Amino acid sequence: VRRGPLLLLASFAFVLLPALARAQARRTWGATPDAPPPVSQAPPEPPPATLGTPVPGSTSAPSSPPVAEAAPPIVRTPGAIGLKYTLEGIQVRGNRSTLPRVVLRYVPFKEGDVLDVDDPELELTRFRLLGTGFFRDVQLSLRRGTKRGYVILVVDVVERNTVIVDDIWLGIAANADTLGNAQPLGPYGGASVTETNLAGTGIALGGAFAVADQQLALRARLTDPNFLRSSWIVEAEVLYSSARDLFGNSDVLVIDPTQTSAPCPSASNPGSQLSSSYGRCSDYAVAQYKRFGGRLGAGHDLGISSQIFLDYRLEKIDASMPLAASDHRGLDVEPIDFMLPRGSSILSMLRATFVNDTRDEPFLPTRGHRLEGTFDGSMTPIGSDYPYAKLVLRGSQYFPLPWAGHVLHLRGFAGAIFGNAPLFERFYVGDLSDLLPDRALDLAFDRRPAPNYLSTDIVEIRYGNYAAKVDAEYRVPLYRGTRSVYGVDFFGSVGLYGLANEQDFSTPARGYTGFATWPIDLTFNAGLRVETQVGGFVFGISNLVGLIPVRGQQSGAALP
Amino acid sequence: VRHPGLALAVALALVAGAPRAVDAQQPAQAQQPAHPAALPPRQANYAWDGDLLRASFSYKDVLADAALMKKISSGLPMVIAMRAYVYPEGQDAPVALATRVCRVAYDLWDEVYRVHVSEPERDRDTAAVLDGVLRICTEARDLAVVQRGLLVVGQPYFLGVVVDVNPVSPQMIDQMRRWLSRPTGSTAIGPADALFGNFVQLFARQIATSDKTLTFRTQSVVP
Repeated sequence: VRRGPLLLLASFAFVLLPALARAQARRTWGATPDAPPPVSQAPPEPPPATLGTPVPGSTSAPSSPPVAEAAPPIVRTPGAIGLKYTLEGIQVRGNRSTLPRVVLRYVPFKEGDVLDVDDPELELTRFRLLGTGFFRDVQLSLRRGTKRGYVILVVDVVERNTVIVDDIWLGIAANADTLGNAQPLGPYGGASVTETNLAGTGIALGGAFAVADQQLALRARLTDPNFLRSSWIVEAEVLYSSARDLFGNSDVLVIDPTQTSAPCPSASNPGSQLSSSYGRCSDYAVAQYKRFGGRLGAGHDLGISSQIFLDYRLEKIDASMPLAASDHRGLDVEPIDFMLPRGSSILSMLRATFVNDTRDEPFLPTRGHRLEGTFDGSMTPIGSDYPYAKLVLRGSQYFPLPWAGHVLHLRGFAGAIFGNAPLFERFYVGDLSDLLPDRALDLAFDRRPAPNYLSTDIVEIRYGNYAAKVDAEYRVPLYRGTRSVYGVDFFGSVGLYGLANEQDFSTPARGYTGFATWPIDLTFNAGLRVETQVGGFVFGISNLVGLIPVRGQQSGAALP
Repeated sequence: VRHPGLALAVALALVAGAPRAVDAQQPAQAQQPAHPAALPPRQANYAWDGDLLRASFSYKDVLADAALMKKISSGLPMVIAMRAYVYPEGQDAPVALATRVCRVAYDLWDEVYRVHVSEPERDRDTAAVLDGVLRICTEARDLAVVQRGLLVVGQPYFLGVVVDVNPVSPQMIDQMRRWLSRPTGSTAIGPADALFGNFVQLFARQIATSDKTLTFRTQSVVP
């Protein structure tokens, strides 16, 4: 079980070494920009004198002109253009940093192929290259080869900035100090940035961080979208987190010999006091933990709209927490489950993900659907200290409405965990409610419970093994552009979610009856979705609305 | 509730099944001019061939762009598709449509342009030099537009014309945008895993519906 870190290092070496080899190879290719192709009305330029070898600055695919064969006839098909040539080579021009072989990955032709100018693959090739995100423009053309009937396919590219802002997190959250005493609002933030074409190799290198009071998370990821020139996507990710989480609802008894503080009033007799050596009182019990590890993954297309991913994740967790703690659950006092063992532990997990995506656009879609299913398996035989299985299903459907580009978006989410998953793998109430900050890089920023608009026992639950959510979003287009800002939509959404553990079904918290025993709540949001040249952004009011106490619940006291 | 897993599965089936009732993959129709009467005017010549209205007009300026003139000699096909909608004056709903599609590619070895033209009444293949290509592909000559029987006598009609260079079909655009929008390698599931998701989204809007589009309207004709 403790050989996990060695396995991790070996796995990373497996991925990183080929990547380094590719970076080294780039120096030998040495592509430099070439002049733009000649103006069209001029007669075709003569073929290069050294076809078949990489020409500095305008590299061709390996090609050797035939020498002894008779020139094939140029075939013309009646009813269409019908021109067919023999492909003598492929020339890439305009690439300043992108390696020619990276461009050639997306060109499905090779020397000696019969090239039909009506072949739709030619146009698809252009779209594929644009789809890499490496180029602002891509144009294909032909020029004469060395013999009649032979041509060279010329790929002219104009490169673009490939550094992308993937995500930005910024907000305010209610926090607590090291001893678990409630603190005023504090900021949290983070960002994720990716270089999608690292040193022109076509490999993406990304980094991300998230930071809050006494919390830090870091990620670094390497992605090769055409691993070993195959159609497999391979990823490697390294993660580090120094995190903490808060448990309880403002009236917590903590047993921790390392901490001394004021004695705690006895729950059974508020007039008396428990010994300070027995325990202390605080608003929250604090669990602190560090994670270090990584993930190796591979993905493959299953047709135009579907993909499958397989991942293996291995990480070491060091957790520090009180010897014991208890909190009110309804009218009872129950021990707190920190969902992490004290000391070191290993998480070794396999994940399979299936995605089916038919949306017309990714950020402001107007039609189509997105379905996603994930299965996680963490088992002792693969070295894990956390035997559990996790199933998550998500579905989205977009409906174009008949007036002025309005869109209705329906979403559903459901998940279940069977077994002993670590804290950060459980479903978190902030991820379900728009009115609490989501986790970023697995860090939970806020100590507050659910807003509890429906007066249920959802207020007792911070992490759960079962979760579900349905919501509807209505979008109204406000602006459409083609330059820096592509689109601005106003949106409003409302939904219903539930979060529970096994005991919430079998023995609901005492003091709640009837409908109040259903751990569900409302969520809503409104704001703007803005799609720009550098990424998509959401500006919502829910984070601020969530700071308004519901019926005077300042600190999440959980009594009905 | 003693079987929360079962309850979740049922709820999920309901959520997943509901969207199936609507076919979200209907291809978009070719765009008609939203306000055809407001298009820039252009002169056309009309002639009646028995009961058939014919029209002649030029749209040579659709290739005025130097980049397109370069592209027409690239050796790969260029498509110039013209749609002429027949509108009653004062209305935005067309009563007829005539199309003319010219597909041209430069023959690198014979140094001529191979042209294939599709019109309502005829298809033809020809070879031409560049001036000939411009004449064949950017001029409508005696284009069969509409039968008199479809028109109201005494009502003025005009043509709303849309010319696309290298138009891309709506299905192809949808397919390409989906393909472009796929997050490369993202296995993001929860909000906490949103890292690196969807960065290719930024380029999806580069997919235009054509290399160039020219629109105009003609003067009226009264049957």
